[in-house]
Amino acid sequence: MKLTEALKINQQVAADGASFAVTLACGFTPMHVKTFLTAHLLNALPGRNVVVEPGLYGNLVGTVEGTLSPDLQAIAIALEWADLDQRLGYRQTGGWSPADLTDIITNVGQMLHRLDAAIKRIRPSTKVVVSLPTLALPPVFVAPSFQASEAEMRLEQSLVNFAASIAQCSHVSIVNRQRLDEVSNRLDRLDLKAELLTGLSYKIPHADQVSAALARLICPLVPKKGLITDLDDTLWSGIVGEIGSSAVSWDLESHSQIHGLYQQLLQALAGQGVLLAIASKNNLDVAQKTLARPDVLLSPDKIFPLEVHWRPKSGSVERILKTWNIGADSVIFVDDSPMELAEVKAAHPAVECILFPKADYAAVPAFLRNLRDLFGKSRIAEEDSLRLESIRRGADFQQASEGATPDAFLEQMKASVLLDFSTAGADPRSLELVNKTNQFNLNGRRYTENDWSKELNDPSTFVVSVAYQDKFGSLGKVAVLRGKQQNGALQVASWVMSCRAFARRIEFQCLRVLFDRFHADSIIFDFEGTPKNAPLQDFFKDILSETPLVAPVGLSRQAFESKCPPLYHAVSTN
Amino acid sequence: MNDTNQRLIKCFQTVFPDLSEAQIPLAQQSNTKDWDSVAAITLVNVIEEEFGIELDLDKLADLDSFDKVSAYLKAEHAIA
Repeated sequence: MKLTEALKINQQVAADGASFAVTLACGFTPMHVKTFLTAHLLNALPGRNVVVEPGLYGNLVGTVEGTLSPDLQAIAIALEWADLDQRLGYRQTGGWSPADLTDIITNVGQMLHRLDAAIKRIRPSTKVVVSLPTLALPPVFVAPSFQASEAEMRLEQSLVNFAASIAQCSHVSIVNRQRLDEVSNRLDRLDLKAELLTGLSYKIPHADQVSAALARLICPLVPKKGLITDLDDTLWSGIVGEIGSSAVSWDLESHSQIHGLYQQLLQALAGQGVLLAIASKNNLDVAQKTLARPDVLLSPDKIFPLEVHWRPKSGSVERILKTWNIGADSVIFVDDSPMELAEVKAAHPAVECILFPKADYAAVPAFLRNLRDLFGKSRIAEEDSLRLESIRRGADFQQASEGATPDAFLEQMKASVLLDFSTAGADPRSLELVNKTNQFNLNGRRYTENDWSKELNDPSTFVVSVAYQDKFGSLGKVAVLRGKQQNGALQVASWVMSCRAFARRIEFQCLRVLFDRFHADSIIFDFEGTPKNAPLQDFFKDILSETPLVAPVGLSRQAFESKCPPLYHAVSTN
Repeated sequence: MNDTNQRLIKCFQTVFPDLSEAQIPLAQQSNTKDWDSVAAITLVNVIEEEFGIELDLDKLADLDSFDKVSAYLKAEHAIA
């Protein structure tokens, strides 16, 4: 991004939008980093009133130590060596003699210790993003610069220990220095003249890249949920229908290791809850025989469903999306054929189609990393590992319910729901579910951790999560409601339910428990129609016999009871 | 108005969005409330981007009006 572009973006800030306050902690003159950080955040958060406030010049650690405001969404820390000891910068001349080195190393360790403690004191609802030193150390060491001396390694060791320590905190994210090296030339970062004349350390392109990296951690992309892969010349090398299942390969010996690496990555992605399916033009029995080979690196039980036949792949993708019940924009399709990618893209423009680089070894590392990035998340929740199983169970559920009347079927499901009022507010899964659910979502509103935390600070607010299981197994936590009781009426501000939990009457049970627990005569819902929340709208239309819906939606207990079908769940609350 | 001054007006508009196009040729640090040291550096960097040149930060204090910046570009960088 050019500076001119950033300044123009910043002039468009929505002054009447919800505030998004960020503190910028850096020891140098913050102006360009502030400008670029604001612009990148505005791009990621359209409609928000982004305000980036720099801390004190030359006092990065003090700025972090003073970060106490509960209204702060994030603190962005652009750390440099000079913040840890001024002798490691160019604005002070405190000494680079051998006798100073021991003191510099001690001082750096102490400052990092202070910074570590200060970061850990910041409330978890404030996101902390850290850029570790990006500028080269000055020639302070005795050894020639092409030798990594013991003193330099001790400094690096202190830094790495510090980074590993703060990385354990769930609200802390650290910029990957290797990735930054790829987009910002290490030799072209320091602007010494600007540093000495004005205190601006970074050249403008570097200020942009550091800011972009910090903004990306403050507002991470929503990870994709599913990957659909081709088989021949993608999951393995060779056309299995022509050479047979024993002849296709994915190993070093056969010069097809890149396919093995791809399988290995898919297996890892499945382990973090990514849905995997196959769309291949092949004979099903041949494909299944190959997938059953003992040397396959991707467990066949991680793949569901298999669309293996000779019909167009756009139709396969259509059916897979329906089975997974997720939006096309949450899915990646990988194939070695540009024609197949184009055919799928034409039918499903929101699906991200990626060419498998079967003939381009140089492109493979970037391809694999791109897949990691698209599905990347900071932590893996218990529900992530349940997702595939619950979709399989959903298919079993569909199959079992065919031919049975809904009540007769639901009655023998042995279903139970647990409504957790006591720990749901603090459970990160609650916010995650609110932010990623589209279809059964009361208003589509998204919250940062800080927004969510502020809502929960009101003592009249309640949050409840709903976990479900039946004879087919557990679906985990599938619904979240947030609201408050005021003047006798119950108000619900957030209500989401995973699409995996549809058709089980869980939504009715949620409302019944709310009516009972709060002795409420009515519930007011902060409803807002979105392009994607038709299932929620249909639920309200059915129960209220109202078309169109008018916000806010009110539901009396009497109206609810008159429309509520029989519920068969065993209910427990805490 | 020549092309250089038109491009320079664009630069000033980016840094001082409250100034009208008519006010910019008359702008001086003394009559432009937002023209502080931060804006001065930003202006220099925006001009560098626009004209693809590197300005001498030592001259920052002297470049305190639209006219002086325009004259500097013409004299030091042969931008007509």
